[in-house]
Amino acid sequence: MTSRPHGGIRYVLAWVGLLVLTTVSFGAAHLALGAAAAPVALGIASIKAGIVLVVFMHLMQTNPAVRTALGTAIVFILLLAAGIVADVVTR
Amino acid sequence: VSTRVVAEAGAVTELGHAREAHVPEAAEHFESVEQQEHAARLGMWIFLSSETLLFAALFALYAGYRAMYSVDFLAASHHNNMLIGTANTAILITSSFTVAWALHSVQHDARRMGALSLGLTVLLGMAFLGLKIVEYLDHFHHGIYPGSHYRFAEMPSHGAKLFFTLYYFLTGLHALHVLGGMTFLALLMWLVLKGRYHARHYVALENGALYWHLVDLIWIFLWPLLYLAG
Repeated sequence: MTSRPHGGIRYVLAWVGLLVLTTVSFGAAHLALGAAAAPVALGIASIKAGIVLVVFMHLMQTNPAVRTALGTAIVFILLLAAGIVADVVTR
Repeated sequence: VSTRVVAEAGAVTELGHAREAHVPEAAEHFESVEQQEHAARLGMWIFLSSETLLFAALFALYAGYRAMYSVDFLAASHHNNMLIGTANTAILITSSFTVAWALHSVQHDARRMGALSLGLTVLLGMAFLGLKIVEYLDHFHHGIYPGSHYRFAEMPSHGAKLFFTLYYFLTGLHALHVLGGMTFLALLMWLVLKGRYHARHYVALENGALYWHLVDLIWIFLWPLLYLAG
């Protein structure tokens, strides 16, 4: 009753936005994008993940300690994947 | 404060439980309830971050093998049913919305709506798993099994075998998380109906919702990697 009176509408908008992005991604998968297909699909997925984190998971309202924990995990995941791919493609 | 307690007690009575709303006291090693809830939240986020690292190992394997066997990976991903994958994406996104709605409702003392939204979330989880079973059965029918049991005549390549093995590990691990999340949310639904959570006490529900959102987040990346490879 006290915080963010329009919170409910934000959730509905986020839900609709996520479904629209899913449709866009589904449509893009049917185009002959070639080498761009994977970056486009993963780019849309990243935007969707951002919406879930910011709107549904209230990331911006969390403590800096929370964002540090999450940020560290994301950086480590990217480093791990980048290191393995770099190894494979330069053999 | 007293009017607030009366209002909450009234809301509980409405549900058939004529007792005061449950408000926790801080444990001995915390200075206040706020500090205790902050610790609970931070603990949950650290747990979720460690969960992403568990999946990261498989995502990294996927990235490495895809770089090695890109043609086989593309062909194998086309065998996956894109319609089922997309329907499951829409289902999980909708369930993320319903669990957010459940928390929002409980934060505003609309407990029945909260419990209903949690129930809906669990049902959507069941629908997701149901479609996953349909998909697995179709794969088994084609002889697509993980590892050395793989015998899909149409795609005998080593790359396709690796793709489907990773497919089973990634979706299987994710499905276990769906199952765990559903159990957790069903328990929370029961506690919401009992009047355990309300506008001043909901951190456990918040953490349950965070867990479910993580399950959704992981699927958001699994969908393009396993179904929309290009």
